Amino acid sequence: MKVTIKSWTGVASWRWIANDENCGICRMSFESTCPECALPGDDCPLVWGVCSHCFHMHCIVKWLNLQPLNKQCPMCRQSWKFNIH
Amino acid sequence: MLRAIGKRDRDIFDEVWPEKRKIVLKLLRQETVSQLEWQELFFGVHFVCLWDEKGAAKIYEGLQQDIVEFIVQAQSKVQAQRGEQALLATYIVEWRKFFTQSNYLPLPFRQLEQSPQVKPASSSSSTSSSAIGGGGASTSNAAALISSQVPSSSSSAKPSTSSAATGGASTSAGGASNSAGGSSSKKSPTEDSPVRKLMLDSWNKHIFHDIKDRLQESAMKIVHAERNGDAYDAQLVVGVRESYVNLSSNAEDKLEIYREYFEKAYLKATADFYRLKSAEQQQENGVLAYMKYADAKLREEEVRAKRYLEPSSFNILTCRLVKVLIVDHLNSIIAECPALIRDYETERLNLMFRLLDRVIDGEGVEAMMGDLQRHIKSAGLADMQSASEIITQDSEKYVERLLELFNRFSDLVRNAFNDDPRFLTARDIAFKMVVNDTSVFKMELPTSIANRGVKYTAPESKCPELLANYCDMLLRRTPLSKRLTSEQIDARLRDVLLVLKYVNNKDVFMRYHKVHLTRRLILGTSADSEKEEDIVEWLREVGMPADYVNRLARMFQDIKVSEDLNTQFRNSISRHDAINIKILNAGAWARCSERVSVSLPIELEDYIPDVEEFYKKKHSGRKLQWYHHMSNGTITFVNNFGRYDLDVTTFQMAVLFAWNQRQHDKISYENLRLATELPDPELRRTLWSLVAFPKIKKQILLMEPIAISSPKDFAENTMFYINQEFAIVKNGKSQRRGKLNLIGRLQLSTERSQQEDNQSIVQLRILRTQEAIIKIMKVRKRMNNAALQAELIDILKNMFLPSKKMIKEQLEWLIEHKYMRRDDDDINMFIYVA
Repeated sequence: MKVTIKSWTGVASWRWIANDENCGICRMSFESTCPECALPGDDCPLVWGVCSHCFHMHCIVKWLNLQPLNKQCPMCRQSWKFNIH
Repeated sequence: MLRAIGKRDRDIFDEVWPEKRKIVLKLLRQETVSQLEWQELFFGVHFVCLWDEKGAAKIYEGLQQDIVEFIVQAQSKVQAQRGEQALLATYIVEWRKFFTQSNYLPLPFRQLEQSPQVKPASSSSSTSSSAIGGGGASTSNAAALISSQVPSSSSSAKPSTSSAATGGASTSAGGASNSAGGSSSKKSPTEDSPVRKLMLDSWNKHIFHDIKDRLQESAMKIVHAERNGDAYDAQLVVGVRESYVNLSSNAEDKLEIYREYFEKAYLKATADFYRLKSAEQQQENGVLAYMKYADAKLREEEVRAKRYLEPSSFNILTCRLVKVLIVDHLNSIIAECPALIRDYETERLNLMFRLLDRVIDGEGVEAMMGDLQRHIKSAGLADMQSASEIITQDSEKYVERLLELFNRFSDLVRNAFNDDPRFLTARDIAFKMVVNDTSVFKMELPTSIANRGVKYTAPESKCPELLANYCDMLLRRTPLSKRLTSEQIDARLRDVLLVLKYVNNKDVFMRYHKVHLTRRLILGTSADSEKEEDIVEWLREVGMPADYVNRLARMFQDIKVSEDLNTQFRNSISRHDAINIKILNAGAWARCSERVSVSLPIELEDYIPDVEEFYKKKHSGRKLQWYHHMSNGTITFVNNFGRYDLDVTTFQMAVLFAWNQRQHDKISYENLRLATELPDPELRRTLWSLVAFPKIKKQILLMEPIAISSPKDFAENTMFYINQEFAIVKNGKSQRRGKLNLIGRLQLSTERSQQEDNQSIVQLRILRTQEAIIKIMKVRKRMNNAALQAELIDILKNMFLPSKKMIKEQLEWLIEHKYMRRDDDDINMFIYVA
């Protein structure tokens, strides 16, 4: 007797790799959404700054729009730059 | 002609009139009048008016005498008749003649209209002398004259004549148009002529007043005879009515006389007749036949009314008839209703409905609605209970049975009650009761999830679960969905949604539907992916909450994204053709239980890092979490007998791979657990699916001892071994090649979380309730308890029906947590706290 795999369908879900549980701006869990959104996941993505802090994209964009001069990370006050991997 | 100029006024009238008068009398008697005579009359009148300054008044007076004389003759003719029929007939004949003449005779006397002496205008009456003062005065003169001239008329005629004379005065002053209100609608030029008025008034005074009681009586007798089916002459009644209408002296309300005498008498006669008849009919033939009788008579009387009555009386008559024929028998009619509904006597019900619907306050119809509702509920439940053994097991049978029930009652409502909205509502209420009934089958939901010692459960109908199962059977590749055409499946899915409309706990349906959809998407067993997406839209249409429907849509999106991902993955690494991945958005799919550990076959263990690496490159900042209880695959199983492709779950795969190195060994349960690292309940379930998969002749695994009847009975030392004789059996013959699906129902959650399932339904309801309360209060700021509850139920009704208890608990919770507070003065008033 011999068993061999012919094909396999793997099922997985994905999670954010964040250095914190909650978004520092809206205090909502990264696994859920920013307060504006209904469905977690692709529609409400996370973004990372060069400073390695991580927020809901909607939250940080809103925050940055409120800062007229120095666009800073709300956590560490370094100037904010998106970390594009 | 010229010689006339010299003569005195009186002479002209005296000279001309006697000749003309003959023509007038001829006209009145309806004798032939030659063209010449007719013209002579015109000329004569004109001549007199022209040369005699009081000519108009004189002619009027003369005319009056003649008319009255003629009428008196007619009266004696009528009065001479003894028999009622004959009396009526003579009267009508005379009246017709006279009435016809009232259209012609005034024509030659148009000249009189110009004259202020006969014009019954109100201004002329004040100043002028008695003789020529006004029509009224001259009329009373004439009346006095007549009464003295005709002493032979009956004694009763005297007071009535004199009273008519005073009445006549006011009549003439009232206006010339009073005689225009005849039954004829066309307006003849003579209608407002004073001569015509004179004719009609005179008729009224001299004939009609005396005999109207007799006329009326006779007319009613004829109607009565007609109702009894005897021979009759309808024209007689019509004639009487016409004279009532045409003779009215009240210009404001031409139907006054008609209404006071004729209509009143007609109504009374009708009511009396049917009061007697209806009781008789009902007693003799029973209520059912009586309904037919009443219906027929109502129509008959409506037709009759059109003949005999003025249009203004129709409604009054109908009201009276409804009272006598229906309202007075209401109770006995309604008493028949339940039996008729039970026997589906649609025709009779329809009849009953039509009858009772005529009753204005709707009491009868309401009673029928109550009967219908009660019947649907009890018949529906009885039907469900009698078939409870089948339908609790078989969702197809259940839904079909339910639909059959619905169609039956919808037909009833359509055929018997013409789809009247009131009955549709009654039907819907009853359907709701049947669908949400918990006596046949139910699911127990904990009412509270707090960790208390005692757990209360509130039973709810299992209907939504069965509906979801049925949906699944239609949407999955099953014998059922293969048997049906696409249109049939569509129709049935629509039916499911129809039933769903009546379900209170729709959230349960949503949950099960999602679980089924998850299975279909993961295993790729959808019969038709277009239909899958159709039904999502339909669910949106029937008012399912948007976020729920959006999640379903997201699931389809995930599957499509995963397909693209697979193509890219295979292109990037050549050796993984056999690997498929489905990456899900955790939030959208049915809530998966926590990870289950399993030791995967080595081949798979190799693939996994590749997939993870690939995904990391595609999406930075994300990591994958595997759901091995949902993964599955196809394995090739080779034994001495043949070679088979088996669809298995990853857990089954892991178990079977334990034998790959030691094909003929018997392996104990304990060792299998060590090898697969599966948790106990999962291993038991997986093994059971391999030793006792339903509906196959030869199992792939065998066990020792054989006598184990449930997965719970596996002991640590139960031994398992590969069935070397395993083969796929088709038509009683073992096949050397073949494909077999051992997955069955894909396990989406572990044993433990299945128990939590119902609890999570309740948990979700609590959150939804809180959410809805806050939503409402945020807008309203201040709201009393009753209004809040009503609005809350409205918001939540597409998901579930919140119990009073739950609402109260959640209100308390929200108050406790300072989301809102009670008003200090009114504990039923809530105030939103920002």
